[in-house]
Amino acid sequence: MKKLHQRMRTWMTRYLALPSDVLLELPRITMIGQIHAYIENHKGLAVYSDTELRLKANKGYIQIKGSSFVLKTMLPEEILLEGTIEEVKYISDD
Amino acid sequence: MEKFQGIFFTGYVTIAVKGRLPELFFQACMKEGIPAWNVKKTGTDTCQGNIKLEHISTIRKLRRQHEYRISFIRKQGYPFLWRRFLRRKEIVAAALLSVLLITFLSNIVWKVDINGVPLEIEAKVEKQLKGYGIHPGAWTFSLEPPSVIQQKLLHDVPELLWIGVKRRGTALEFQGVEKTIVQRQKVKGPRNLVAAKKGIIQKMYVSRGLPTKEVHDYVEAGDLLVSGEIGSLSLTEQPEDGEEKDKNQKPGKLVAAEGDIRARTWYETKVSVPLEAGYETLTGNQEKKYYVRVKDFYMPVWNLDNPDYKETQRENHETPIRFIKWDLPLKFVATTLSEKEPYFKKRTREEAVAFGIEQARQELQLQLGPEAEIQGEKILHESIENGKVELTLYLTAEENIVKEVPIE
Repeated sequence: MKKLHQRMRTWMTRYLALPSDVLLELPRITMIGQIHAYIENHKGLAVYSDTELRLKANKGYIQIKGSSFVLKTMLPEEILLEGTIEEVKYISDD
Repeated sequence: MEKFQGIFFTGYVTIAVKGRLPELFFQACMKEGIPAWNVKKTGTDTCQGNIKLEHISTIRKLRRQHEYRISFIRKQGYPFLWRRFLRRKEIVAAALLSVLLITFLSNIVWKVDINGVPLEIEAKVEKQLKGYGIHPGAWTFSLEPPSVIQQKLLHDVPELLWIGVKRRGTALEFQGVEKTIVQRQKVKGPRNLVAAKKGIIQKMYVSRGLPTKEVHDYVEAGDLLVSGEIGSLSLTEQPEDGEEKDKNQKPGKLVAAEGDIRARTWYETKVSVPLEAGYETLTGNQEKKYYVRVKDFYMPVWNLDNPDYKETQRENHETPIRFIKWDLPLKFVATTLSEKEPYFKKRTREEAVAFGIEQARQELQLQLGPEAEIQGEKILHESIENGKVELTLYLTAEENIVKEVPIE
């Protein structure tokens, strides 16, 4: 049943041209050069330190590495990260 | 970032979280829907971030569920500034006092300006104003409204034709216009004098011109009294009267006739006098009370007890209290309570008649002016209707009936 649901959504994004982040509940990351990363639709904060930010997504984690990180805003489901970003990486659960 | 707009006014605090994985506390906050910003990791087990003032109680609850030590590092924003300000009693007192002082000073006349009139009149006006209690340093509550000041000044300084009174903040401005005495315009060219109303001529004094009527003549309104045409021209018209004096005048000379002709005139008037009359007089006893008024609430300031008058006449005089240039919603009210005494009077018929005659005489005198003289009266008709004496009077007066008419 859940699979069917998931497949429906994928189909809808493809044929109805609906934004995929909304339908598929995937995180949306907007970056401004190296200095800002704006992450929406995340599922929670897992690790945060000066050099690393790890956020839960619906499947696995988003890992952002860099230096002198500051969380400029922390709202439910959105985070604005400031600092020098070096890499963005997806780590899958399974 | 909209969420953090106006954050200064609502106030915010910087909290420091200490414990294992301190960032997870902020994660918990996020789950509760508490926004945080400027979150920084300051060490391996410390983390700090800003939180709105309104969320502090929720933070305290959250603290109990977790094993973190939370300390408030900095309090920022308007509510904290305000609290800090209120804690300093002397500054609050000084601020209040200064507001009071400004209010006090805003209600004082600082300047009296008189413009538009020569120096000597200015001095006169100033002297009069001092008499009314208007001078720099006077309390504005004690001032009368500009219209009253204007009336008084016009009455007391006869040289003034007009004076404008304006209050501009704490200054009073007077704009005066001096009376220039202009000779009354007379009809310059040749003119006749005619009768303005009908009457019997009593006295005649003709300084110029040819009189066409004599004493004891009856004249109607519009009748020629003194002709401006002297000589042969007029001779043909008025063969009887004009001849005696001016026989040797050259023919056809026109002059501006001048003269004073008093005639007996008659007036019929109707008066009605009630037999019972009620009126009120002030006994002269009065007391003053002062209030500060806020909308409909009067707060007594001075003279709290009411005088024990049977009947009182109340007179309110309101002055708005000003702050710099604005009127505050406060008003200073001076109330004058005067004792009243009602009078009821019953008149006999004779008294009522006498009163009616006196009244009619006064009215006529007022109508005719001070030069006229009322000589006598007759009652034509007298009746009592609905408790009133109705009189029809016939009044005789002696007055100047001259009217100037230019000769074309």
